[in-house]
This record gives sequence, structure tokens and C-alpha cells, in this order.
Amino acid sequence: MNRELMSYKGIKLILALISVITMIQSICIVFQAKWLSDIISSLFAGHSLSSVSHQIIYFAMAFTARYALSLLIKRRAYRFAQKTGTRLREQMMAKLFQLGPAFVRREGTGNLVTLVLEGISQVKTFIELILPRMSSMGITPVVILAVVFIENRTSGVILLVTMPILIVFMILLGLAAQKKMDLQWSAYQTLSNHFVDSLRGIETLKFLGLSKKHGTSIKRVSEKYRTMTMGTLRLAFLSSFALDFFTMLSVATVAVMLGLQLINGEIFLNSALMILILAPEYFLPVRELGADYHATLNGKEAAEAIQSIIDVPIEQKKKNLFSLSKWDENSELTLNKVSVFREEEGKMSLNCINLSVKGFKKVGIIGESGAGKSTLIDILSGFMTPSEGEIKLSENEHSLTSLTHEAWRKHITYIPQTPYIFSQSVLDNVRFYKPNASVAEVEKALEQAGLAELVEGFPDGIKEQIGNGGRMMSGGQEQRIALARAFLCQRPIILLDEPTAHLDIETEYELKETMMSLFNHKLVFFATHRLHWMKQMDYIIVLNQGKIIEEGTLDNLLNKKGEFHKLIQSQLEGLE
Amino acid sequence: MRMKEWFVDYIRRYWRRFIVILIVSLLAVLCGAALMYTSGYLISKAALRPENVLMIYVPIVAVRTFGIGRAVIQYIARLISHDATLRILSEMRIQLYKRLEPRALLIRSKVRTGNILGLLSDDIEHLQDVYLRTIFPSIVALSVYFIVIFSIGWFSLSFALIMAIYLFVLIILFPIISLWMTKKKSQKINRQRNHLYQNLTDAVLGVTDMMISGRSHEFIHQHEKEENEITKVTSTLHSMSRLREFMSQGIIGLIVVSMIVWSSGMVNTHQIPGTLIAAFVLVVFTLSEIFIPVSESIEKISQYQTSLKRLVETSHFETEESKNELDHIMNPDKVTIRLDHVYFRYDNESEWTIHDLNLSIKQGEKIALIGRSGAGKSSLIKLIYGALKPEKGLLTLNGIPATHFGEKMSDFVSVLNQTPYLFDTTIRNNIRLGDQLASEDEIKRAAKRAKLDEYIDSLPLGYQSVVDEMGENFSGGQRQRLALARVLLQNTSIVLMDEPTVGLDPSTEKDLLDTMFEAMKGKTLIWVTHHLVGADKMDKVIFIEDGKIEMQGHHRELMSKNERYRRLYQLDVPYQL
Repeated sequence: MNRELMSYKGIKLILALISVITMIQSICIVFQAKWLSDIISSLFAGHSLSSVSHQIIYFAMAFTARYALSLLIKRRAYRFAQKTGTRLREQMMAKLFQLGPAFVRREGTGNLVTLVLEGISQVKTFIELILPRMSSMGITPVVILAVVFIENRTSGVILLVTMPILIVFMILLGLAAQKKMDLQWSAYQTLSNHFVDSLRGIETLKFLGLSKKHGTSIKRVSEKYRTMTMGTLRLAFLSSFALDFFTMLSVATVAVMLGLQLINGEIFLNSALMILILAPEYFLPVRELGADYHATLNGKEAAEAIQSIIDVPIEQKKKNLFSLSKWDENSELTLNKVSVFREEEGKMSLNCINLSVKGFKKVGIIGESGAGKSTLIDILSGFMTPSEGEIKLSENEHSLTSLTHEAWRKHITYIPQTPYIFSQSVLDNVRFYKPNASVAEVEKALEQAGLAELVEGFPDGIKEQIGNGGRMMSGGQEQRIALARAFLCQRPIILLDEPTAHLDIETEYELKETMMSLFNHKLVFFATHRLHWMKQMDYIIVLNQGKIIEEGTLDNLLNKKGEFHKLIQSQLEGLE
Repeated sequence: MRMKEWFVDYIRRYWRRFIVILIVSLLAVLCGAALMYTSGYLISKAALRPENVLMIYVPIVAVRTFGIGRAVIQYIARLISHDATLRILSEMRIQLYKRLEPRALLIRSKVRTGNILGLLSDDIEHLQDVYLRTIFPSIVALSVYFIVIFSIGWFSLSFALIMAIYLFVLIILFPIISLWMTKKKSQKINRQRNHLYQNLTDAVLGVTDMMISGRSHEFIHQHEKEENEITKVTSTLHSMSRLREFMSQGIIGLIVVSMIVWSSGMVNTHQIPGTLIAAFVLVVFTLSEIFIPVSESIEKISQYQTSLKRLVETSHFETEESKNELDHIMNPDKVTIRLDHVYFRYDNESEWTIHDLNLSIKQGEKIALIGRSGAGKSSLIKLIYGALKPEKGLLTLNGIPATHFGEKMSDFVSVLNQTPYLFDTTIRNNIRLGDQLASEDEIKRAAKRAKLDEYIDSLPLGYQSVVDEMGENFSGGQRQRLALARVLLQNTSIVLMDEPTVGLDPSTEKDLLDTMFEAMKGKTLIWVTHHLVGADKMDKVIFIEDGKIEMQGHHRELMSKNERYRRLYQLDVPYQL
């Protein structure tokens, strides 16, 4: 049985309830068959319709009760599925916002969004289907079999023997199909992705002059995909063939056996008819399970994926006493031997970083791609917990394992390479960190960020929709929105992760002034590979392969003619 | 609606197959019904205690035959219907591709993301379900309907009429009512889900802002509120479909009772033998399996409509056939590009993207195009490639308008852009796309010129490594080098580069540019860039602003004469430090 399923809250209760209802339902099925066969055999014996009228009413009642109960079961299962789905979604989303950007990057935005929306509804379908199926599988055939045995041993034996054969064949053929699929899996994947791949690369194909010709390739691959799929389907359908085949054969055999026994006078017609009516009902639960198998498969996988996210441990210890009321001239932050291991083969993103800053200072962090700049910024902004080392914050007595704490985040502004613009108005975007800011305050922030003129030119002014689906903005303008956010809430600590890497130089030049005015009287960590910013920094850290290889003020480093000097030289190399 | 193109055409083309599928599916259903019919008949007959088993021999054989036959035929029916659907899927894919291909270079500006293209392919897969889950089952149910009515009508016209009404409710009335009742609701759900989808994507993309602003709880709360609203609607839909199913079962029960009443009457008046009572009643149960799911199949129609609508909206462009008026006289080794008062804009109301541009580029010249984003650089590249057409003025390659080259353009001009697309196949195949007839040696030589050979040789599978599986081991610089090898293999005399080094760190950028310039000796190079590293290696730097040339000249010249240029250069190059 499914592990995730059994771990859901309240599952045992609902299963018990559904089982009880299924039990009653099974009894209804038996009586429905009994009364129907009584009616038919009476009529067959030449009795009048009026003599069986009360049986007809009984039959109708049993029949109605059966489907009313089935309605009840479905409703129960549906409600439980809804409740469980909602709980899973809440847990997963809460986790998502705790795990932060590094996790989102690893899992992919599309994946996560799909998992929250599609995945949850697949899980709901899974729960909704599997609960009734499980109980009807376990109860109905047993009840029917018992009744058939009481009525007629031979038929009972036939039904009893068929069930395991049927299940074994179903599983065997299912496994064979699975094996065949596994064998061809990679080829299969390539073929089925080929079309999407072609569509996404259509621009490149066009530039290479291959786009027309590629149409034939799509045809060829699609045909290959079809023959391959059909090969697998031929085998996969065999399992439902086995299901059909043995069910039908078993019903037919029961019918023939009953016929022979009737001739010999070993059984009465009403018993024989009852068994004949019950025989298909006996197999119905297995057939339903087989039919819903694929629908439940996706849900099962989604349930596992969701559970694995919910189960990701949050490393920050619960009782980590963290307090930071304000950041001022005397506040001090110290990183002590902080390291970050990457998941694969013990590589280190950060290697034993020691760093201490006090009060308001502008710290430049430079180094090549992969040197660890972003990881360091992630640690400092509290998005990531270091694998080793400790962090001391002046106001806290004990050292901390990480800065992943809301109290810390309340004091920081983070500006990435491409700030995210929400699909909201300019107004709401700017006051995203401070939702209750007034329009006047936002206007002032826009002015400071150098956006006032642009925004005034919009048809809807400050209410203009931007972001996805709204007015498109250039990279520089998006960066200014981020700056306006920072101006608005005036938090004392600012972290920047290559904020100008994607911008053209002229835009960068214009932004520089605005940024410098923002940096005034603040603690700034500025990671970049654009060296000209270092002129404005109070302190510079040079990172290489996760280590601090040099640090100091600009003059210090220039005089030293060490690594920093080398970095400058290497960029000048080849230039006149 | 373009129902015709995505739907009717396929029915027209595949009608023979469809008819076979329908007949076989129908046979499978009838076999199942016949099994229960003959079984009922068999045991009733046996209950009369005939002298000899041989008296019921025929029904015994029939029962077995139908039992086995039903399973076999069902199996065949499933195979052929899936085969036909996969055939249609493959044709739909080609259809979609053909629709998109002529506008390949403009898709991005129109539809924006590559993800939409992935969505379109999903839509096509939805559409194939029309046949498997809706059309085939519904038609089979309808055929069974007529068969049932006719066979009862053979015994009694009035009872046939009653049955016709019962079944009419089941397979016509209920589906229509439920389609009508659910349509609005499912559209509402779709809309709300779309909204949720957008909001959630927003929140996940802006996860850092969510965390720093501390607004994630608020967001989750809001999200749950909206989910709740959707759940309310889906719950009504669910209870509606549960109720409908219950009512359908009720009708089946009604049919069973009516069947009992009617057949006993028929037996009393000796119109049918008593053995048929059981046979008739048992058949009713097997038929319910076919009739009840019809409503559900029909409800799906609203889902297909959504897919169809998006397909039509995003893939239906007015296709103008690209002209191939090119004669072969043109010398591909020596191409001069001329722009003569070229104007361009994306639509009639907007500002000029390219404004009165004059330019002449001789074979072998190296040009850097500089300007801020949105200045018109990328549009200029597309104009030169012939993907866009100037509104006024002339843009020619050796005197022939660029738009006349069509497919042939790739023999003269190759393009390296910001994010080269690497296909999900081996490194070798990805390079070979530049020239499909290239030998192994030529591929290796191209890789060597792109300075990628050492890296490829270090991979365990070498040139056979699949690009996608390498994931993060394949850095941005290396991806560009692979694209470069492809372009080198294409071996055209003109290369257009659209910011190929954006987002790379300075030393990677410098290495890559060195490799590029070295490999492009003798070729005309038009290089769009957003900063000035490497500008000194170009023959000419052209600075574009608002679609016009703001300044141009050699780097040295601009450095000495132009204050603005000097200022920008100093920002870019750290030698004042």
C-alpha cells in the first residue's frame, strides 16, 4: 500500500467509514441480484406479474440503495481528498518560501508552480479514486464469493480460481510492458521531446537554413514514435485484455456449468440466475481498478514529489535565539570560518570565509564567475545556511548558524542582477516591501530613483500595470524600480548581486549616480565583476574559488600589486 | 473558428479508418451484450430440463465464443483506435510546425516566450483525446442506441418507443444538459486557475522579494482564499456529476423494471418464449456501461475548445511565402551590404525603430554596433537577415534586396545570438547542423577553431555526449563556443553576432571574443554589443541611438574626438584605477 497515502491525517477513519458503507453496499448488490432472479424465475415459471410486485419493489429499493451508497462513498472520498489537498498545498507553499531562491533555482520555477497547481489536483484525484477502489476491492468480491459458495460450490470454485489467475496475468503483462518501456525509455524520451525541442529551436533552425527541411524530420520522428508506442501499447493493452478475457471466460464458464447442473436438476433456476447476475459484479472492482490505474499513477508520483519538498529539513534550529532591533554605527557582523559545500563530490562554493564588518561601510566583492560571490551574498542575505562555520551578530550573545531569519531580513534590501517585477501597478511594485506606504512617499522614491519622468509619461501614471502582461520595461528601468523600492523603505543594509551585469554601459553609468546616493549611510555588500565600482567602495574582498584571496581598501590593494592588480591587468590585456 | 484545419480535415482524411474503428468497437460491445443474452437464454432453456445436453449445445458454444470474442475484439479496437490517433497526432505536429516555420524569426516578438511553444504542443496532445475519449465512444453509444431500439421494435413498437425515450434521456438529454450547465462553470474555473497560475509564478519568481518583505504568509493566505473559491465551484460540478450518475443509474433501474413488466406480458400472450425474459433483462446491465459515460465524454468538449482556441490564436499567422527569386550568378564569397535610407517600425502608429539609416559594408569589414537596449540594434540585424522588411528605403546584398533571399539567406549569412539554442542531441549532431554533409574531420576542425576540442575530448563520451544531460557542466561560454563551431561549419561570408557575450564574466568574455575574432578572419562581421570591450579590434564602431547613427568611426578616432565615447570607454575598461 502507498506510504504517503497512509500517512495523511484522518486516513484511517475515512477508510473505516468507507469500508462500512462498502460492506452495506455489497449486501445491497447481493439482494438486488437475489430479488431480480426471484422475479425472473417466478415469471418464467408462469406466475403472474402481480404475484411478484412486492419483489419488484424490493429490487428497486436495493438497486437504489446501492447507487445511493456509492454516491455517499464518492462524496466522502471527495471531501477527504479536498481537505488533504489543501493541507498539503499550505505546507508545501510555506516550505517554498522558507527554502528560498537557491531551492527555486535548483527545482525550476515552472516545475514548482506546476507541482503546486497540477500536482495537488492530481493528488486529489488519486486519493478520491483510490479510497473507494481499495475498499471495494477488499470487500465486495469476498461478500459475493461467500454468497455464491453458499448457493453453488462449483460456480464458487470457478470464480475463486479465476481471480488470482487474472491478477497474476495482469501484473505479469503489466510488468512486461513496463520492462519494454524501460528498455526503450531514453529513445522514447528523445522521440517524444523532439517536437517541443524543434519548436523551441525553430529560430536557430531558421538561421541555419534548415527549418523547411526539418519538417520532414518531424514527420519521420513522429512516425517512429508512433510505431514504437504501438509496440509498447500492444503489450500494455494485453494486461487489460487478460482482465477482459478471464472475466468473460469465467462468466461464460459459470453460465455453461449452471446450464449443465440445471439439466441434471442439481440447482434451481433462481439460484442459477442469481449467480449469473453476481458473476460480473464479482469482477467489477478489479476492472475499475485496472481502468483507473493510469489516473492514479500520476497522482502517486505527484504525492511523492510534494512530500519530498515538505520533508526538506530546515537547518535553522528552532530555538536559535535571534534578535536584531536595529543596525547602527556600533553594530557588528562577523563571519567565522563559514563554508558552503556543493552537493556533488565535496566541491566547495565557499571555503572558510572570515569576515567582520562594523557600522556603515561599502564592501565590494569581486571575482570571476564561480568564485563564490553569489553564494556569499546568499549567506549574507539569509537565503542560505552555511554548511559549516558560525556567524556573530553584536546584539546576540551566542553565535548563530545562519542568518536565515525574518528578523534579519527585515533589515535588508536585496537587489539581484534582474530584479523581479510583479505583474502589478508601478505603485504596488515600488511599495512591495512597505504595502502601506502612501502615494506621495512612492512618488518621492520614484523621483529619487530617477523614474518620475518616465512614470508620469505613462497613460495611467503611477497606476500603470508593469511586469508580465503589462508594459514592458528595459533592464535599466527594472533596476530603477528595485532602487525605488530601496529608497522607499530605507533599510540599513543593502546587498547587491551583479546589479549591472546585463545592462549596457550608458545605462550603467546613469544608474551609478542614483545608486551611490542610495548607499549613503548604509551597510552595502556589492558583488560585481565590473571593476570601476571599486573606486567607490570602502573595503574590497577578492574571491577566488570560494576563498578570500585578498582584502583591504582600494589604495591598499593597488599598492600591494597582488591579486587585485592582476585582475585589472588581465582585463586590460589585449587592449591598447 | 478554424475548426476545419485542426479537426474536420482529419476526419475527412481518415474516415475509412474511423469507420473500421467504429465497427470493431461496436462489435466488442455487442459481443459483451450477446454473452449475457445467450447466458440468460442458456440457463432458462436448461431449466426446462431438456432430455439431452445437445439440445442446448448451440447456446453453450455461443456463450463461449462471445466470451472470448469480446475480449479479443476489444483488444483490437483499442489498438486500432490508438494507432489512428497517433497518426493524427503526427500530422497535427507537422501542421503546427508548418504554420510556425515561416514566421520563425518573429515568434519571439509576437508570442514572447519559448514556453508558449511547449504549451502548444500540449494542446495538440489534448486534441488527440477528442477522438479517443469523445468521438469514438459517443458514436458507438449512439449506434448501440439505434440497434437496441430496432431490435425491440421488431417485437413491439410501443415498447421500443418507451425504451427510445428512456435511452434518449441517457445519451442525448443528460449530456446536453450537463455540457450546458458545466460549460460556464468550467470556463470560470479555467479563468481562475489561470489567474492563480500567474500569481503563483509571480510569487515563485519573486521569491527573494517575498522573503525579504515578509509578505509570504499574506500571499499564501490570499492564494488559499482563491483556491477555496475554485474548490467551491468544482465541488458543485462534482456533486452535479455524482447526481447525474445516480439519476442515470436510476433510469437503468427503471429500464430493468420496465423490461420485466413488458417481457412477462409478452410471455403471457405467447408472443415470446419464456426463456427470453432472463436474456432480455440481463442484457440491460451490460448496456449501462456504454450509455452512462457518454455525458462525461461530452463534457470534455469545453476543454478541447480551450486548446483549439489557443492553437488558432497563437499559430495562425497570415503566411506570406518567402520569395526565392535568387539567381545563382551572385558571388557568395564577396558580398557588399548596402542600406539606403532604410526606415522600419513594428506597426504604423509607433515611432521609427530604424530611422533613415545609410550604411555600406564591404566584404571583410568588421563593425561593432553599439547603443542602449531598444536603440534598434537587434532590429537592424533582422533587417539585414531579411526577416524584417524595411518600410521605406532599400537594403541590399550585392544589389539584391535582403527580403528576396528567403531560405537561401543561410548560404550567405550566419547568426550568433545571445542564447543559442542547443538541441537535445549529441555535440556532434549539434555542430553538424551548420552543414549536414560535413565529415567527421570537418566537425573536429570547427570545434578546434572554436577552441572547444580540448573540452570535448575530456568528456567520457567525447563528441557523442548529449548536450542536455550535461546540464550545469556546460557553461555559458562553452554553449557559445558550440554555437560558434556550428557557425564556422556553416562557413558563410557574413556573420551577424547579437550580443553573444552578455552575462559572461570579463575573462570568459575576453577569451571568447578572441576566439571569435580569430576564427572570423576574412568574413564580414557585424557585432551588436552593449559594452566596449574589444571595440578597438573592429574596423568601425557605430553608435546607434533612436534608430539613427549617433556617431561612427574607428575606436581610436572616437576616443580622441568624442567626449561621450571616451567617458563610456573609461567606465568599461578599468585602467584608470
